[in-house]
Amino acid sequence: MSNFYVHFPVISVMGLFLAAFLVEIFGSKNKYVRYIISLIACLAAAAMTFYLIVPVFLNGEVISYWMGAWAPEGGYAFGIGYEIDGLGLFFGLLTALTFLMSVIFSWRYMSRDGHLGHYYTLFLMLAGSVLGLVFTGDVFNLFIMIEIMTFASVALTAFRHKKHPEALEGAFKYLVLGSIGSSMTLLGVALLYLTTHTLNMAQITALISSQGMQPTTLLAFGTMLAGLAVKSFVVPFHTPAADAYATAPASVSTLFSGMVNKAGIYGIIRLTWILFRAMDKEALMLLLSILGALTMFIGVTMALAQHDFKRLLAFHSISQIGYVLMAVGLGTNLGLYGGLFHAMNHTLFKGLLFLTAGAVYYATGTTNLDKLGGLAKRMPYTTVCFLAGAFAISGIPPFNGFASKWIIYQAAYEKALLSGNIVYLIITVVALLVSVMTLASFIKVTSAVFFGQTPASLERTGEVPFSMQLPMFIMSALCLAAGLFYNKTVGIFVNPAVNAATDPAKYVDTMMGDGYAFSHGIAPQPVTFTSVSIWDPVFWLILFVIVTCAVTLVAMSGARERGPISLPEKTADDKHATFFGGEKSLHSHVGGSDLFWGFKKDLKGYFRVMDDLHSGRTNDYALWVVLGTALITLFTFIFMS
Amino acid sequence: MPDILARLVEILLVALHVLIFPGLLFAAVGGLLLAGIDRKVLARMQRRIGPPIVQPFYDFFKLMGKETIIPAAARPGIYKAAPVIGLVSLSLMMLFFPIFGHKAAFGGVADLIVILYLLTIPAVALIIGGSASGSPFAGVGISREMVVMLGYELPLVMVLLTVAKKVGGGSLVFSLQSISEWQLESGCLLFHWSMIPAALAFLLIIPAEVGTQPFDVAEAETEICEGPLIEYSGAPLAIFKLNTAVKMFVMTALFQVLFLGGINLGEYWLLGGALLFVISAVLTILCMTFIHAFTARLKIEHLFKFYWTVVAGLALVSLVLVWFGL
Amino acid sequence: MILINYIVAICLIALGLYVMCAKRELIKIVIGMGIMDYGINLLIVSIGFHEDATAPIYTLSDIINGNLPLFVDPIPQALTLTSIVIGACVDAMALSLVIMLKRRYDTTDADEIRRLKG
Repeated sequence: MSNFYVHFPVISVMGLFLAAFLVEIFGSKNKYVRYIISLIACLAAAAMTFYLIVPVFLNGEVISYWMGAWAPEGGYAFGIGYEIDGLGLFFGLLTALTFLMSVIFSWRYMSRDGHLGHYYTLFLMLAGSVLGLVFTGDVFNLFIMIEIMTFASVALTAFRHKKHPEALEGAFKYLVLGSIGSSMTLLGVALLYLTTHTLNMAQITALISSQGMQPTTLLAFGTMLAGLAVKSFVVPFHTPAADAYATAPASVSTLFSGMVNKAGIYGIIRLTWILFRAMDKEALMLLLSILGALTMFIGVTMALAQHDFKRLLAFHSISQIGYVLMAVGLGTNLGLYGGLFHAMNHTLFKGLLFLTAGAVYYATGTTNLDKLGGLAKRMPYTTVCFLAGAFAISGIPPFNGFASKWIIYQAAYEKALLSGNIVYLIITVVALLVSVMTLASFIKVTSAVFFGQTPASLERTGEVPFSMQLPMFIMSALCLAAGLFYNKTVGIFVNPAVNAATDPAKYVDTMMGDGYAFSHGIAPQPVTFTSVSIWDPVFWLILFVIVTCAVTLVAMSGARERGPISLPEKTADDKHATFFGGEKSLHSHVGGSDLFWGFKKDLKGYFRVMDDLHSGRTNDYALWVVLGTALITLFTFIFMS
Repeated sequence: MPDILARLVEILLVALHVLIFPGLLFAAVGGLLLAGIDRKVLARMQRRIGPPIVQPFYDFFKLMGKETIIPAAARPGIYKAAPVIGLVSLSLMMLFFPIFGHKAAFGGVADLIVILYLLTIPAVALIIGGSASGSPFAGVGISREMVVMLGYELPLVMVLLTVAKKVGGGSLVFSLQSISEWQLESGCLLFHWSMIPAALAFLLIIPAEVGTQPFDVAEAETEICEGPLIEYSGAPLAIFKLNTAVKMFVMTALFQVLFLGGINLGEYWLLGGALLFVISAVLTILCMTFIHAFTARLKIEHLFKFYWTVVAGLALVSLVLVWFGL
Repeated sequence: MILINYIVAICLIALGLYVMCAKRELIKIVIGMGIMDYGINLLIVSIGFHEDATAPIYTLSDIINGNLPLFVDPIPQALTLTSIVIGACVDAMALSLVIMLKRRYDTTDADEIRRLKG
């Protein structure tokens, strides 16, 4: 291996960690020094990660790197190895994109806070740990990275505690529940070591394949799965996510939803599809799908009840992760396609939405939906970006959400028909319904924040600076591009990731030497997958433009005999006044929490139960985590042995 | 070069489909006529003489000639674009229907899902447009519209899945073309007894989708002054009114394609097909008019409950029956 | 008998989880996190244990002669060390958060620290 790029993964991870300490040493006084160090580290790491597209995605290589050149001896891996296959790089790219966008956004967004040296240190630690997590080929290293990730996340959540004391509360809950998750992962790693006497993922894959499932392995699987599910905030482990996402600065929320929960999803896919090859275990996969569907539904209904912009987005983040988990749990290649594609789209649109929430906070100083209103006139670019993200997450064509959700529906329905299991059918219906509810709650945000009457306190709000608009524009453009050219996107990015997950032979061989996989009973399985054609988006765009032109033409042609279209003027006369029906205009803005009362009234029983479950008590949340872990472990034992 | 030329011709042909038949013009004329019939029949049921059948045309052109006033609180771009986007997605939807036993102008494997999405867009356009007008009455209206949408979406999804399963047997068929061909062989879906609850559910969804009494909570003139449309005037209002009419037409056409597609007419397919289409469209509309004539407007929470219990229940009965191969 | 180690480890983990679920005092929750960590550390150390084995230190002559002594697996011990360090950091961080919470909320009762809910 003399190719220079084999060093890229480790350099990018180490570079971020190194920069984290450099920022603390040199950058605590001067804001330019610390920002330039952070920006350069992020740019370099992102550039190196993106460069890996060429060898891994296009040439189909698997890159391996042994720390200190401790290559395997006699069929046993001793050293810590980094290994980048299609799956790892797929998530690595999402991570790189997210932290790059976030660091650009942070420059102005965080400029009003103090102690920014600490902020960038933690930021770089978080970025490096997630990148390390997806690149590592060693389960204990995975655990370490998870711990660093949790640490940095908790500290960043509490970053604005001076202004918002709730941030401390969110951070504490996150730390307690996160540490249960980490401990479960560590327990799983230890038990895995007990049966396989190795920590290398490739070797574990091979040994489990040749040894078969022993009770200890099953326990390891159950606890690791539960631990990683805590990290990806799946119901019933979702409670800290809502608190942490809502109270952290928006640039950090972007990181959380763009890469931290993706890291958990990555772990689950790595565990179920590669390490344990469990995608044929119907019952277990059904559990994942049901958890995913529950996550989807509970997340979106909780989002409908929220009054805070970011907390609402947080619940949507949970809900979208449910889509991903549900699709991954189908156990079919098509499902994995949909899941990975949706994970990628979720990073794009949810990152975008959190950035717009940050822009709104920066401009107005609040994210309370009842205090905002009418920002569309004052922040036109933010509004356009928000609408792009909202349409994407609600799955409206031609944005990317439509393409991936459609693949997921198709996968779920196909699974329902193939297995004859009516549960999958219910899951399909739930998925379609959740999509509409997502739309509903984004309508609520749109009308509460960007349209409607402007409260007097926000009259002087202006657009955010360009350095904050730039990442939003890039993300919006990517949302649209991934939807329009979805065939290319899937072909270049998702395809290699699916191949890597379904065919681990090459992954094992690269790490452990040729023939190792075959001798342990892992035969290469070329993927037999025919790409689904949903539609030709470009063609549709042309159509849409033609018709829009035609309709506009018709609309204009009727306008010959009437006066010019009236535009509001500075001194608006009565003709341009909004109809209030006698109310004072001050009190007539329909706040976000007043929408959907008919819906909420009918389901008040459900919402009361949900309200009780999300009680805010750390103990209750811990109990949820323990019960969830117990459930997953028991289920593993009953249905996998 | 010939490649590009061929592509151009293809696009032109599609544009023709979109604009004239079975797209915009056809749907607009048909929809306005249906709206006229609806009004006339309703009037007769209420012992009134009622307007002439072409009254919706007069209304449309009259509104087109009026001044468009944009309120000071509105966001002009979105305010003006919203009705157009709604109309565009509605006329695109017409392309998927195999009308008169004719081949669909535009079809694929995924028609039903695309239609499901395209059906939400006009409602979203109404909501966004109303929201952009900045009026508090519109605010109330859009929240109701959204709840109505949540209400009928669940049964609609279930009905579509039922049809897909019934036609597909062991696999899934989302193509309208195949659904109508299947019906040619095995008879109308409406005449399969297991599908009758689904058809009923669909008939109950149409009034909510179109927004007629008793499901017109979003535009309730008497309480919230037409809700989302309160600030609209002139051409945008005309297009919104046209949207309602076209939606009526699209929904009846969809009902016809899904449930009444299987009458083999042999060589008289064009004339007979057209006649059948007109008859079934009018009959579907009459079902709606009947409900309209003898009911009063529901409250929003009753409407939601109605759709998630009664209508969804009907659809569920069919879905379960079909699932077990009946 | 190594079995006792496993039993104690599982008991410690269960005790830790119980404390986290049942005790409302934040400090006690942090203690629960610690207990759970110790349980897992004990488990990992026990995994590497061999009866009648020595430390994994051997001389060149042992290797040449080929009579390697039975030794304890060193990797779990390395893992335990790392895990202990991480556990200590987690506890320190949690305690610092508790101190800040006490300052801002003026309580350390989990029942009263619930502004974020619903």
